[in-house]
Amino acid sequence: MATEQELSGFLKSVERRAFKRAAYQVRDEEAALDIVQESMMRLAQHYGDRPLAEMPHLFQRILSHAIIDSLRRRKTRWNLFSNLSDLTVGQSDEVDPLEALEDLIGHEGTQSAQDALEKTQTLKELEFLLMQLPERQREAFLLRYWEEMDLAETAAVMGCSQGSVKTHCFRAVQALSKALKARGYGS
Amino acid sequence: MKHSRKTRLELLADRQGLSLAARLNPAASDLPHQVTERLRAARERALASRKVQTARAQGAYGMGGSLALNHGDDDQMGWLGRLSSGLALLLLVVGMLGISEAQNDLRARELAEVDVALLTDDLPPAAFADPGFLQFLQTDDL
Repeated sequence: MATEQELSGFLKSVERRAFKRAAYQVRDEEAALDIVQESMMRLAQHYGDRPLAEMPHLFQRILSHAIIDSLRRRKTRWNLFSNLSDLTVGQSDEVDPLEALEDLIGHEGTQSAQDALEKTQTLKELEFLLMQLPERQREAFLLRYWEEMDLAETAAVMGCSQGSVKTHCFRAVQALSKALKARGYGS
Repeated sequence: MKHSRKTRLELLADRQGLSLAARLNPAASDLPHQVTERLRAARERALASRKVQTARAQGAYGMGGSLALNHGDDDQMGWLGRLSSGLALLLLVVGMLGISEAQNDLRARELAEVDVALLTDDLPPAAFADPGFLQFLQTDDL
């Protein structure tokens, strides 16, 4: 069983990223704060007696459910935003996804692109683009790359197959890379 | 060939995804003060709620053995709980004293009844025919 100090330390270590993840997904900071608070309460009340090692996975699941609940309640607000569907690379045979992605990233990888950009500017732009992604792509991207979960974990949290996670992630990366390049941040 | 191409595509996407996500990291570390304060308050509230849950669970678990005498440190018990426990203890002591007194009284009554029976009982006529009894009556020590 995790001690009070251990639980406090764990919550402290995840609260900021949890807040940002919720904010990216629901696109509302007030709602994101409520979601994080609700998730912390649920973890402490229902799973406070679990070992510390189980906490990260439990918390991510609780957080994901809280985000989904919030999104369901606020579904109508989604219509106010446009999405990146026009930027998503089509699946036609004419475009080779590997070549397209390599072209977007550049042969030097992302390092050269990073060097060319002001970090703050990139962050703002990336945050904006991320929030325009379709819901499932955004969720997959954040879980897989920001929370650095493996495929199986991400699929478990999202309640879908690993193949679906790969597809969502690939499309999210493609869309973000293409949008960044279109705004002059590509190599 | 197709398999390796797919793997390469996935690896490339993963590498790019991790790189893009890494650019988001400053967003989590540079939060406004009011946000960090609300997160801290939320954390403390969560920890406090866990304390209450734990205390309630322990209280319920220990009830069978300790009954009313166990006050514990639970503030929720309050003065009402303490008063009721005190009253129960007082009633117990008064009850035990009452039982003890009643038993003493009963024993005294039984002894008195035996004495009365002995003292008021008529002497059977056969007793006067008993030489031993006559000798007893003539004894100076009586």
